[in-house]
Amino acid sequence: MISDPTRSAIDAEIARYPQRRGALLPALHRVQQEHGYVSADAAAELAEIFEIRPIDVLEVVSFYNMFYDRPQPRHHVYVCTNLPCSLRGARTLLRQLEAHVGVKAGEPTADGKLVLGHEECLGACAYAPMLRVDDTYHEDLDSERAKRILDELE
Amino acid sequence: MPRITVDGKILEVPEGRTILQALDDARLLMNGVDVPHYCWHPKLSIDGSCRLCQVEVEGIPKLQIACDTPVQEGMAIRTDTERVRKAREGVMELLLVNHPLDCPICDQAGECKLQDYAFEYGIEQSRTREPRRALKKNVDLGPTIKFDQERCILCRRCVRFCDEISETGELRVFNRGDLSVIETHPSVPLDNDYSMNVADICPVGALTTQDFRFKIRVWFLEDVPGVCTGCSNGCNVHLGVANNKVYRYVPRRNDDVNDTWICDAGRLSYREIGSGARLREASVREGDAPPKPTGYAAAVEAAAERLRGVIDARGAEALVVLASPHATNEDLFALRRFCDALGVGARGAPVVRGREDTRLIKAEKAANAEGARRLGFGDPADALAKLRSGAAAALVFGHDALDEAFLGGPEVFAGLEALVLLDVYQSQLVKLAHVALPVRHVAERDGTLTNVAGRVQRVMPAVEPGWEAWSAGEVVARLGAALGLAEFEGDWSADAVSRRLSESVGDFAGVHLGSVGDGGRLLADTDPGSPA
Amino acid sequence: MGLEVPWVTGYLTQHFADEAFIGIEGYERAGGYQALRSALDMAPDALTELVKGSGLQGRGGAGFSTGTKWSFMPKDSEKPKYLVCNADESEPGSFKDRILMERGPHQMLEGILIAAWATGAEKTFVYVRGEYALSAARIERAIAEARERGFLGERICGKEFAHDVVLMRGAGAYICGEETGLLESLEGKKGQPRKKPPFPAQYGAFGMPTTVNNVETFCHVPHIVANGAEWFRGFGTEKSPGTTIFGVSGQVRRPGLYELPLGTPLEQIVFEHAGGPLEGRQVKGVIPGGMSMPILPANLLDVPMANEFLRERKSMLGTGGIMVMDDRTCMVRASCVIAYFFRDESCGQCTQCREGTGWIHKIVERIERGAGSNEDIDILEDITGKMEGQTICAFADAAAWPIQGMLRHFRADFVEHVKQGKCPFSESFEL
Repeated sequence: MISDPTRSAIDAEIARYPQRRGALLPALHRVQQEHGYVSADAAAELAEIFEIRPIDVLEVVSFYNMFYDRPQPRHHVYVCTNLPCSLRGARTLLRQLEAHVGVKAGEPTADGKLVLGHEECLGACAYAPMLRVDDTYHEDLDSERAKRILDELE
Repeated sequence: MPRITVDGKILEVPEGRTILQALDDARLLMNGVDVPHYCWHPKLSIDGSCRLCQVEVEGIPKLQIACDTPVQEGMAIRTDTERVRKAREGVMELLLVNHPLDCPICDQAGECKLQDYAFEYGIEQSRTREPRRALKKNVDLGPTIKFDQERCILCRRCVRFCDEISETGELRVFNRGDLSVIETHPSVPLDNDYSMNVADICPVGALTTQDFRFKIRVWFLEDVPGVCTGCSNGCNVHLGVANNKVYRYVPRRNDDVNDTWICDAGRLSYREIGSGARLREASVREGDAPPKPTGYAAAVEAAAERLRGVIDARGAEALVVLASPHATNEDLFALRRFCDALGVGARGAPVVRGREDTRLIKAEKAANAEGARRLGFGDPADALAKLRSGAAAALVFGHDALDEAFLGGPEVFAGLEALVLLDVYQSQLVKLAHVALPVRHVAERDGTLTNVAGRVQRVMPAVEPGWEAWSAGEVVARLGAALGLAEFEGDWSADAVSRRLSESVGDFAGVHLGSVGDGGRLLADTDPGSPA
Repeated sequence: MGLEVPWVTGYLTQHFADEAFIGIEGYERAGGYQALRSALDMAPDALTELVKGSGLQGRGGAGFSTGTKWSFMPKDSEKPKYLVCNADESEPGSFKDRILMERGPHQMLEGILIAAWATGAEKTFVYVRGEYALSAARIERAIAEARERGFLGERICGKEFAHDVVLMRGAGAYICGEETGLLESLEGKKGQPRKKPPFPAQYGAFGMPTTVNNVETFCHVPHIVANGAEWFRGFGTEKSPGTTIFGVSGQVRRPGLYELPLGTPLEQIVFEHAGGPLEGRQVKGVIPGGMSMPILPANLLDVPMANEFLRERKSMLGTGGIMVMDDRTCMVRASCVIAYFFRDESCGQCTQCREGTGWIHKIVERIERGAGSNEDIDILEDITGKMEGQTICAFADAAAWPIQGMLRHFRADFVEHVKQGKCPFSESFEL
């Protein structure tokens, strides 16, 4: 389930922390890099590696926005809709993108390409509105540029 | 010992305690000093999240949670000020924002801390108009517990119990904020030897037992203090009684024996009391005929006659006495006197053993194995050997001897000239007995039991059997009188027997029904440091 | 893309236009790691005294004296001591730590190393919020470069000084910016804040003595060591010395970052530096310190940006995230955004916070929809009072204060919604 390279990376992380469990969040990130989410099987494997119970892993996954317990589309497209961004039209932008892609925020597209969503402040307040596609920020957006960014995603 | 004041009253408390612990130690908590609380429990780690136990501490501007504030010399605490009142109101109101109005269908009603504290400390009128969370209801969390996620107030007692007491870790809080919910792993149900304790500690009806579900409203139950008879630990319980029926056991706190816990098997052993396995009629067997139901007193006389016949012909050496480790100390004392007066040497008490753990569950699956030993009914090996060859009569109390650890079957009793059986339950011995007499369950009589650590604990009659049954001690006394044994004239009531026991058996010096108390009392030669 | 260079720079950001400053060569060329060498020639206690004497306050929002915090670490300890760099910047309106990490990672590292020498810490955990992927990448590279150059590892700069830095990415939870919530997350658990006492200096990361400081706080340290406490006190106010990086956002002409001395008047920042409101608009209100801080109306903006002054106006400096709202803005809608944030980010432990944030959000939304009553406005006020000062951490306070601020200065907006049975601000930002 968890590939050997990922397992090695997790072992390397564990070595950097005074207690094994300190490496759990890094390990979850790595598992997600591989599979896009943390399956029940992956959680069981991680539980063994970290000498905790599977439910402990699932509990942690449930607490954090960036960890998913079910399969995800290829891209997460999150528009920040917190206050400074909303003041500059972020929510209007999100609606336009929903119309453009044909799905509501939270619903993945039928082809599994992306899901739109809200996100809290991403630390780009002066460049509102903006959005995050996976690990990349796209700031100072207007409707046209935002739509093009989505269209160009694979 | 630091001295503190609580609402103006001076209290001396042990070093290193929090305010709530100190009040609990002094047995004042909610019993003279009101500090309502949810997440704190005397036997679990400190949580500090419910925020209900806030009190004023002189010199500290913010309110402090009593559960996590260590007491210090000179500390002045107030639980009765306006600020404290408002804080409690706030917590209660906020807890009720999402809590469903389930009281009419909720088992917890009548013993619900949310009801109680809302009534006592909350606001009178709800102000919320918002729709409440819709979550899981009526979920079997495992084989024993019913779960209603909406009712949960997230005190996390259940989570800590499963981590710290059963050490099985089945429960966690998922998500965050007001999406927080208690969950199990989808493949790991709540299933451990102590699972039903979570229903006791849950302050609301989020966790209840499947066993008790919808059976009866708790305000109809009378709580009779007693002791579980499942093993030799002797966990203290309250029997919940109504309509002459025991509806449940709940653990009764005893910091020397079981804290606030009981194992699931023990908790459910109340079912024995009213079960179909009870022996309900006295019977007498003549020749090869099957046993015939007989009036109780007549059956006792018949038993005495049978025994006299054998003793006259062969002497007391032909009689074997097997005592029951489930009997009370008083019953066993009567039996001891009976054996001594007759000169019966072949005596013992077979004790069935099973699994044990490091918490409450003991290997000896009988409540009074230790009492039996102390009263001279120990290892039954010799008595059983005699039974196999040489005995002509047996007075048998209980059917533990049939267990594969001992005889493995009733055959050896078939050849006896006189088999007198006293038992709470039916067994293969009833058909073979010349006289079979139903006797009272521990829950049906007054008496004491001695647990594995030598602690004598009181039981009292909670219900009456629905058929005629004497206590075993009364039967033995009547047999003794009928056999002409002088000391069985006179008063053999429970209290009298108890006094006689305390006066004649060294270990029991000073220990009788009147002196045992709520928490039990150690026998004379018992090391108080040994595990209870 | 990374953040643009600040509009106004100071000693923290003066080199940020130079891309080379991101790497160790560029950093050293600009004088980097000299302060570390000077610090290593000082006794740790003296170093702590220097920072204490400088008056540097933590820049993570709480404003506690940094030198004093360092002095809480036990002097002799059998247990290993740790530093934690709180790079979880998630306060809405704040993006100053982000630029410090993206364009000056070595400056931050140098500050960390100096703090490590002063406190005797053997390892630093840098906890970066999960969404700051670029910051994390730049810090990782800086750590590798520093290690290669001998600024990390055993015998740093030839002294009896060993230190290592580990970067950990968060995973999307604002509460992990709370000191002890961060420690829980660092340990691989949910980021639920701990009861205090014990404080991190006694029981911190993995149970060891720990000091947690904000990114920007560490960044000031090399400059204080290089130039002295006197120099540092030359910026800012008597009680709040030094500069900070204000982040201006919202309905203003020149949103962006401005490194300015503490005590700079808010109206100067908004109207002069950031160019004031957009064409044809007036300022209605400004949140001065990140979204947890109560809003100030247009007539109360003549306040020096430092805690001792902002407190008088019932607000605080926080993280210096200045959010400008103009006259189009419906403050009830703004409150919806604010209330939703706190509801979403509450860790859920404490009754008042978990239930209070939820209830506040539901009521504010209902008022915005036009289905609210005057009683609802009173209830809002009452709930915030029931949440304040009674929880494990300050999140409940942070959730309560902004609503109190809104009701204090913009109650009229709420009353209008009730009166009209709808939102009367047709030109306001869309919700």
